[in-house]
Amino acid sequence: MKNKRVIDEGRDIELAAELIRLGARLQVLEAETKLSREKLLRLYKEIQGKSPPKGMLPFSTDWFMTWQPNIHASLFIGIYRSLLKASELGDVEAIIKAYRLYLEHCTAHEIEAVLSITRAWRLVKFFDAHMLATAPCTRCNGHYVVHTYDLTKDYVCGLCDVPSRAGKTKDRAAAAAA
Amino acid sequence: MKQAQLLEEIREANLSYLMLAQRMLRDDREQGMFRLGLAEEVADIVANLSPAQILKIAASNMLMCSFRFTDDIVWNLLTSHSKDAKLSGLHASLLMAAQPATVAA
Repeated sequence: MKNKRVIDEGRDIELAAELIRLGARLQVLEAETKLSREKLLRLYKEIQGKSPPKGMLPFSTDWFMTWQPNIHASLFIGIYRSLLKASELGDVEAIIKAYRLYLEHCTAHEIEAVLSITRAWRLVKFFDAHMLATAPCTRCNGHYVVHTYDLTKDYVCGLCDVPSRAGKTKDRAAAAAA
Repeated sequence: MKQAQLLEEIREANLSYLMLAQRMLRDDREQGMFRLGLAEEVADIVANLSPAQILKIAASNMLMCSFRFTDDIVWNLLTSHSKDAKLSGLHASLLMAAQPATVAA
């Protein structure tokens, strides 16, 4: 579907540019704007100075279940929901604003932003499709990302009950030794 | 004398809080609401205050800002030294982000 009005196209270009600057993949742009593929490609090259990565988007919900991504995803979805609840933002605007706030949290706590904008967008789509949901942790009452049909009566989050090897990656060990 | 100084300090805190809140809401309404924990009604009131009104409110003997988090888990996470600091900071942000906004009564 093409934009009928120039003013709508202008808004779409602005939106696409913002998403590209945040590092979104082409598929996200195609889904969220009505711009043609050629235009998006050109825009991507102008902003990033290179061609967009090819291939499919990550499509698995399981990634969000692993320890660190789960925490980051839960943080993001918490921010996203607060924004949506408090105001009448559109979905994409809320994703962009929530993602900015999420990045801010990461810089404030000096941690690596595990969640990319594309993943964050995917996460929201998984929620819309009822493939993922949140469950409250029985200890801290925080809401965490789970599969929709998981049994969550006695759910304890990965932060209250940290797995023994969690976060102990090769990179960290190398950083600590250096 | 001490009382007068206290009132003066309250006035200063009120003034900078209200001015900061207003600036945040005017710069980016939704982001400001999230950071301040405000609902739309209150946010609109604050954003539309005139400088004279802000001065008047600030001169009250009541503090205009209050503690948002009544959950002791959040406080423990923010103040604990024992655990991994980065992790408890992240945990605290996660719990704080989910707090409902203050709604005008």
